[in-house]
Amino acid sequence: MNLRDMLHISVGNLRRMKLRTFLTASGVVIAIAAFVSMLSFGAGMQENVASEFNNLGLFNTMIVYQKDAEKEFPHDLQEKDTLSTNEPTKIKPLNNEALRQLSEIPGVSLAYPYESFTISVSIDDSIYNTEAQVLPQIAYKTKLHKTLLYGEHLGSDSSREILLTNQFIKEFEIAFPDSLIGKQLIISAKASSVDSGLYAIVKSDSFNFVNKIKEFDFDSLRNKNYVTNILKTEANDAVQRFIDGYMNRNEIISDTLTIVGILDNGIGSRTSTKPILIPMSIAEKFNSKGAGRGAMDFMSMMSSGQLDIFNQKAKPKSFSKITLNIDQGVMHKNVSDSVKALGYRPFSFAQEFEQIQKFFFYFDMGLGLIGLIALITASLGIVNTMVMSIIERKREIGILKSLGADELYIKLLFLTESAMIGTIGASAGIVFGWLISRLGSFIAQSYMEKEGVDAIELFTMPFWLVLTAFAIGLAVSLAAGYFPASKAAKVDPVEALRSD
Amino acid sequence: MNKLWIETANLCRHYKRGSSTVKAVDGVDLQIYQGEYLAIVGSSGSGKSTILNMLAGLDTPTSGTVHVEDIDLFKMSKKEIASYRADQIGMVFQSFNLIPHHTALYNVEMALFFDNTPRTERTQKAKAMLESLGLGERLDHKPADLSGGEQQRVAVARALVKTPTVLFADEPTGNLDQKNTNQIAELLSDLNQKGLTIVIVTHDLQFAKNSADRIIRMDYGKIVEVIKNGDRNESS
Ligand SMILES: Nc1ncnc2c1ncn2[C@@H]1O[C@H](COP(=O)(O)OP(=O)(O)OP(=O)(O)O)[C@@H](O)[C@H]1O
Ligand SMILES: [Mg+2]
Repeated sequence: MNLRDMLHISVGNLRRMKLRTFLTASGVVIAIAAFVSMLSFGAGMQENVASEFNNLGLFNTMIVYQKDAEKEFPHDLQEKDTLSTNEPTKIKPLNNEALRQLSEIPGVSLAYPYESFTISVSIDDSIYNTEAQVLPQIAYKTKLHKTLLYGEHLGSDSSREILLTNQFIKEFEIAFPDSLIGKQLIISAKASSVDSGLYAIVKSDSFNFVNKIKEFDFDSLRNKNYVTNILKTEANDAVQRFIDGYMNRNEIISDTLTIVGILDNGIGSRTSTKPILIPMSIAEKFNSKGAGRGAMDFMSMMSSGQLDIFNQKAKPKSFSKITLNIDQGVMHKNVSDSVKALGYRPFSFAQEFEQIQKFFFYFDMGLGLIGLIALITASLGIVNTMVMSIIERKREIGILKSLGADELYIKLLFLTESAMIGTIGASAGIVFGWLISRLGSFIAQSYMEKEGVDAIELFTMPFWLVLTAFAIGLAVSLAAGYFPASKAAKVDPVEALRSD
Repeated sequence: MNKLWIETANLCRHYKRGSSTVKAVDGVDLQIYQGEYLAIVGSSGSGKSTILNMLAGLDTPTSGTVHVEDIDLFKMSKKEIASYRADQIGMVFQSFNLIPHHTALYNVEMALFFDNTPRTERTQKAKAMLESLGLGERLDHKPADLSGGEQQRVAVARALVKTPTVLFADEPTGNLDQKNTNQIAELLSDLNQKGLTIVIVTHDLQFAKNSADRIIRMDYGKIVEVIKNGDRNESS
């Protein structure tokens, strides 16, 4: 007796009970198909993220921020009161000194700042309100900023050129982006200053001192809470008016530049660039005239102590973030520890990716668990079928024993049968799961195309998934068959063979 | 006398049914010699089948021993008892006990699954055995397509195909008419002539007297009479 004989007998039995075999295997098919298609989605997502990370060179990119102003100096005034009793740690600004220090960290091959302006640009007769980002020459070669869709890269830090990004193309629905290459573009920004901000506090269209006085409930002034509330509201109003005034100064600075290329920028808020990239010299010119700082920039400068309202000249140049390129093979943890030691907040994509992988691990586990629950249900079907089969074939078991079959043989015979159900179910389930993933992919892709998003493949079916699905299907059916098979092995031949 | 092959000592098989005990076999001492044709007779429920099942190792005694060529059968492992059956025992039952969904040929072949007979040899042997019993035309028939006599001959073929040391037959003719009974009786006598040890359980005293060397009569689980069939011994 060998495996071939067992398979022969098993196949014969399963074929005799076609409907029952079909129904039992169907349970496994459905469960495995669910398992495969869901994990194929998980694997697809994971692959997309990994390849995107790789394409953009994110595995060797780290971004450095200032320590979080939100955390150290909450905007809420009441909390600020309680905080002021403690000595607030001064936030170290991301200035040129920081840039120098960061670039000297071992393993850092490149450090370049990120600066942005709120600007408006005019090309031909169209005017676009958007944002520009400084792209220093040293960053041209990084994977993050290398890929051009059209045209050429910026010449140098001092060239009078400009890059658009596909962000810009998308945002303003430019039909023929390549036709923009070589065109002249006028970039302009509002200059803002502290004077105009201070002026706005006392003289604003929306502020009427007489009306304010009228609104006061003088009786309630004895109530401490009421006073606090009034003061708080007034302080907030004043800050708001200052910012408005700061921003709304009417002086405009502008420059005319040539569009040289269109850059393909990355995914995610941390990596994507602003719609327009400008060289360093242009940025310096705009900067010195106080161009286009947004309200948020202002707030963070003020809270980090960089903005001295009464001595504007003391304002050092600072950046919202600095990007580090890290040498191949350097431990990101070492670099990020050094960054922390310098008093900044690092963000490592490689470390982030570990988190993402952890997430995907649990995500996959979750999906797998759903499939597994379906599989357990299916396994109950197998148990049922096998128990039925044993009851029906009790006499056959007795005969086999009288012919000299031992318990192991009987056990294996029935395990072979449930394994075959598992094999058939798992194989068909993998095929069905694949079909489902193709269907899902087709639907998703046509949806993405309709929405104008770059269509990506959401499902992949790596070999490990096929193998795992098959192994799990087989293992579950063997486990399901084990109890009935053991029962079969213990059938009493005397009873089974009794003549009646 | 021939060599002693099987010996039982105080063999008992008791069934507990609540407070009462059914003594299906109760203190049987029995010797079976090689080449012997032994018949066990007795009324229904006297314990004939139970003895046979214990001799084949299918049933386990509650006390007493069975020695096969001086080896204590029930001291062996289950696996060893199984291969004892596979190598040495052929069994035939009143109700034939063929597997209904397999052909006659495959039913016979299955007896060779457990004694390491190679696959090709297996089919050849089974075919030859069925042919020798006049069933050459019936190889691919399922049991349901065969007459009772034919089915029992298939069962005998299955028992004999592995050339066992002994054939245990539990009322092999119980379901057969006179013609088929005679046919099987002749077949068994013939096999015994050729040296096969046979132990047969039967109701039919005439059958026993015509065929067996020795007849054992049982009642209430005990051997109550041993008849040496001198006539037959002389004739053989
Ligand atoms: N599993 C069991 N539980 C209880 N009693 C049993 C069991 N098996 C057999 N017996 C009893 O043991 C006794 C002997 O049974 P056995 O089958 O050996 O008789 P037998 O001589 O073969 O009878 P028959 O000629 O009717 O086949 C009977 O009284 C029967 O009822
Ligand atoms: Mg009986």
